[in-house]
Amino acid sequence: MAIAREATPVSSAADIKDADLDREDLLQIYRNMLVTRGIEERGHILYRQGKIPGSFYTGRGNEGAAVGVATAMRADDVGTPIQRDMGVHVTRGTEVWRIFAQYMGRRDGLAMGKDGNIHLADFRLGLIAMVSHLPALMPVAVGCALAFKIRKEPRVAVAWSGDGAMARGDAHEAMNLAGVHRLPVVFICDNNQYAYSTPNRLEFGVDHLADRAAAYGFEGVVVDGCDVLTVYREAHRAIEKARQGGGPTLLELVTLRMEGHAVHDDAFYVPRELLEAYTKKDPIERYRRWLKEQAFLDEESDDAITVEVKKLLNDAMKRAEDSPLPDPSELEVGVYAEPEELDTPHHM
Amino acid sequence: MATKTYLQAISDGLREEMRRDSRVFLIGEDIGVYGGAFKVTQGFLQEFGEDRVIDSPLSETAIVGSCTGAALMGMRPVCEMQFSDFVSCAFDHLVTVAAKQHYRVGTPVPIVVRLPSGGGFSGGPFHSQNPEGFFAHCPGLKLVCPATPADAKGLLVQAIRDPNPVLFFEHKHLYRRIKGEVPDGEHTVEFGKARVHREGTDLSVITYGAMVYTAEEAATAVADKDGTSVEIIDLRTVTPWDKQAVLDSVAKTSKVLVLHEDTHTSGFGAEIAATIAEEAFENLDAPVARLTAPDTPVPFSPPLEKAFLPQVEDVVAAIDRLSAY
Amino acid sequence: MATGTLVDVVMPQMGVSVSEGTITRWAKNVGETIEADETIVEISTDKVDTEVPAPATGVVKELLAGEGETVPVNTRIAVIDTGGGGESDGEPEPATTGSDPNVAAEAPQAAEAPPAETPAAAPAQPAPANGNGQGSGEGRTFVSPVVARMVAEHNLDINAITGTGAGGRVTKKDVQAFIDSGGQAAATAPAAEQAEVHDVPHFAPPPEPETPAPAPAAEPSPAAAAPAPAQPQPATPAIVEGEPGPGEELYRFNTVRKVIARHMRHSLETAAQVTTVIEVDMTGVVNLRRKWKPIYSERHGVNLTYVPFVARATMDAIGRWPWVNAEIRGESALIKRYVNLGMAVAIDDAKGLMVPVIHHAEELNLVGLSRAVIDLADKARTKTLSNDEMSGGTFTITNPGVFGALIGTPIIPEGQVAILDVEAIVKRPVVVTDRHGNDAIAIRHMMFLCLSYDHRLVDGAYAAQFMAQLKQNLESWGEDAYGL
Repeated sequence: MAIAREATPVSSAADIKDADLDREDLLQIYRNMLVTRGIEERGHILYRQGKIPGSFYTGRGNEGAAVGVATAMRADDVGTPIQRDMGVHVTRGTEVWRIFAQYMGRRDGLAMGKDGNIHLADFRLGLIAMVSHLPALMPVAVGCALAFKIRKEPRVAVAWSGDGAMARGDAHEAMNLAGVHRLPVVFICDNNQYAYSTPNRLEFGVDHLADRAAAYGFEGVVVDGCDVLTVYREAHRAIEKARQGGGPTLLELVTLRMEGHAVHDDAFYVPRELLEAYTKKDPIERYRRWLKEQAFLDEESDDAITVEVKKLLNDAMKRAEDSPLPDPSELEVGVYAEPEELDTPHHM
Repeated sequence: MATKTYLQAISDGLREEMRRDSRVFLIGEDIGVYGGAFKVTQGFLQEFGEDRVIDSPLSETAIVGSCTGAALMGMRPVCEMQFSDFVSCAFDHLVTVAAKQHYRVGTPVPIVVRLPSGGGFSGGPFHSQNPEGFFAHCPGLKLVCPATPADAKGLLVQAIRDPNPVLFFEHKHLYRRIKGEVPDGEHTVEFGKARVHREGTDLSVITYGAMVYTAEEAATAVADKDGTSVEIIDLRTVTPWDKQAVLDSVAKTSKVLVLHEDTHTSGFGAEIAATIAEEAFENLDAPVARLTAPDTPVPFSPPLEKAFLPQVEDVVAAIDRLSAY
Repeated sequence: MATGTLVDVVMPQMGVSVSEGTITRWAKNVGETIEADETIVEISTDKVDTEVPAPATGVVKELLAGEGETVPVNTRIAVIDTGGGGESDGEPEPATTGSDPNVAAEAPQAAEAPPAETPAAAPAQPAPANGNGQGSGEGRTFVSPVVARMVAEHNLDINAITGTGAGGRVTKKDVQAFIDSGGQAAATAPAAEQAEVHDVPHFAPPPEPETPAPAPAAEPSPAAAAPAPAQPQPATPAIVEGEPGPGEELYRFNTVRKVIARHMRHSLETAAQVTTVIEVDMTGVVNLRRKWKPIYSERHGVNLTYVPFVARATMDAIGRWPWVNAEIRGESALIKRYVNLGMAVAIDDAKGLMVPVIHHAEELNLVGLSRAVIDLADKARTKTLSNDEMSGGTFTITNPGVFGALIGTPIIPEGQVAILDVEAIVKRPVVVTDRHGNDAIAIRHMMFLCLSYDHRLVDGAYAAQFMAQLKQNLESWGEDAYGL
């Protein structure tokens, strides 16, 4: 018994006219998705070369969902993306070399070597770094929204979760608090249908995770996460609604996790047919086709973009590889913050 | 200077900071309309409005987690766990997110979590704990345990201004029982600075929180009994703690009793005792003694609770044992 | 432990090598008042008998040892209450039961008998606090870290510090009090072994049989033949004291007797003792003495006896035959040019013996020797000899002759190789040869001199020649050798 609305897909540029995207924006979306995938493909290589310690997570197949939401955020909105959302970091403008540096445990990584893989975020871009205990950042995003509300700022917080993490109490408490106070927060659920090896049917009892929104007093929407423009449209709508005081929305973006939970996982438990079906729905391929159909992209500009992306990634990789590892003397630095790191001690 | 109860001092500190800094807001269960389970925030909703005095759902994770988010956005939130015992529901957030955020990614998390703690009134296992030990073990958090009204206010103000997550343990058995002089106007107390509650020469009692008063009574009793001169060091903050003051006192008296209301194994006293053994070995004229609650949940029935909590006569006995060594 | 109003009286250390003392008589009882410096108790040690002055004015609160009891030096033997209060001195209450909120004194298991040391300890108990922190009845010595550090820093001898902690251990306060009261730093550590030979009384406690006597003392300073403060170990297992039956009286060895017993035994076990006897015609000396006696009395205030004559003659003889004035150490000997002359004196109705020492007797003429002999004999009898006057002897003269003894085989004192017995002077018919070689019978004053000597160093021929010299000195004492 579904409760949430299912978003109708975007078909033509007209559908997104009120979303105010021009050609440049549309090509930028494309570029962002390519960079996102490129980072993770190169990451695989680095990992197998032994240059990335620990583990390595990707969001292959989630590029459209991530980039679509991030594109709908305004500059001073904030977000708490998770490990499938490299596209969010790229779209917000995170320096790519620092992402590689992060993976390789370098001092110039976004977590300065203190944390690894996708536990990264550039706070200056309004992004807050995730932790492993998902969805621990959901209440944090709600807190950001609370601050915006108290200060009456037209800003929105975007809180990401996966399909598995939605089972934890943090999700419930966060959404409940947000619903009670109608906070300016949008909840994004990256439902890639598998939480490690656990399929949706073993993760929740409702038809859609988006159905839960009603339990908290707000709207839930199920969206084809492989369709970047539909994602964008729904995200844009939800974010602006929040900004206008309309309270939270829960967007469930459905995709398939195209690779294992992490690099060590071959995902044998995912049925072949499902993989094949979603390969056909690959968000980047789909979007490229759409761009060409809508005459925003031709062969030449596609090639140019490809070359440009490749160069960007190569340059970034080189810079990261040349950057230093942290010194052991830095181990105990930063456990505590100093007062100087706060903006001002106090103000009226 | 004015004489205030411990509770009034805390209330004053909160109120003054909220007046002074618009970024400070409160969130917790029943703190608004009800004025707080212990009435610490009585009148606050009326003065500051519901945007800054937020009655939250029963969601410790969301309460503390949202404080982290708001703090990252530049606010100075002060949340309340209605009883310190309930902080276990937010344990994950505190140690996973709040404590580690600055270390990992360089962003300060200036939040304060107020925790009415401690027993002595048949509160039972879930309304009487002193959970500072769990959090002392987590790098990135600061822990504050004031004993006097002046320190309660000064340390609370300091906590609100500190750029780190601070757990503020208000011993609820001191709320109305203890009165003291509180400086007027702006008053802060530095973290990591112990206070010599009582000067002495024969042995040192290192303690904090409500046990400061138990120690005081015991010290008076032994002074009357046989002239033993007991020094009492009130740590005031557990993380960071004033190691030097403790070592100085041990150097002076060479006999030391570590006293806390929290349970025994891996209570913070173990850390103090180990440190004294490591760094003051050649100043010791007796083994380091610890007096704590035993390793049990806090019992409910009065005779059991009395047996659980260190009493004045227990402290006297421990002092006597040390003196005789 | 002493609080502000209570002051301890301790067994004093009468000399570096003294390790214990015996209470001979309490001058005060519990409850009596006493002034500072007033005698509170009379004690006896193996060096001296003496009186102990009270360290403070007040009321005698407790007597911790009984008359006749022997306790180690620095043991608390009494407590004086100087204040008005009758406060118990810090006897801790046993821990209250009821709640046991985990008092984990991480003490080494046994350490404290909970009520530490009750001051009213029965005298029978080996009193706590013999100054080296002996544990309560476990024989365990515990020095806490701070005490160890302070003792090291101030170069103290922990044995010199009274311990008031549990089981008698020395506490930080005890050390601090010792320092504050001006307790001096210990002599360098092996002070015991380095006690000069002069300090060693003739009756110093014997060294352990297994101790290679002086060999380890590589120092040039004459080390004791006996490492003096070695606690006298009971050599034999427990011997059952006799219960006096009818016609029997029990005499328990006093300190002096015990020491004499030990030394005599040890000497015989160590030295290769031989005695040689020579007969001396003392007629000339007798005559001289008769002539000079009134002059000595009048002019010098001394009573001239035969002993100074013998002593002076012995000095000269030693000058020619110095090996009888030596000290054996292992397989070497110190031959001494000076003579510290020990003169045995009977005391306590001949139930005791002391041997005061005239230092550098070779420098004294007859007057000096007379005076010294009388002086020391008096002091011996009144128990007022100083430590120096008790120790350092190199040669000893004993005089059982006053009682009429004719021949003796005296035992050689510790640290010496010879002792000279002066026997009775007896009128006897002897053969005299005149200048013409004619023999006649004459009545002469004859005296035997018996020399016991240690054959490890001194051979018979040597000893005999020494004696011959001595005989000659005495028999040729010139009239004009006045004062010699």
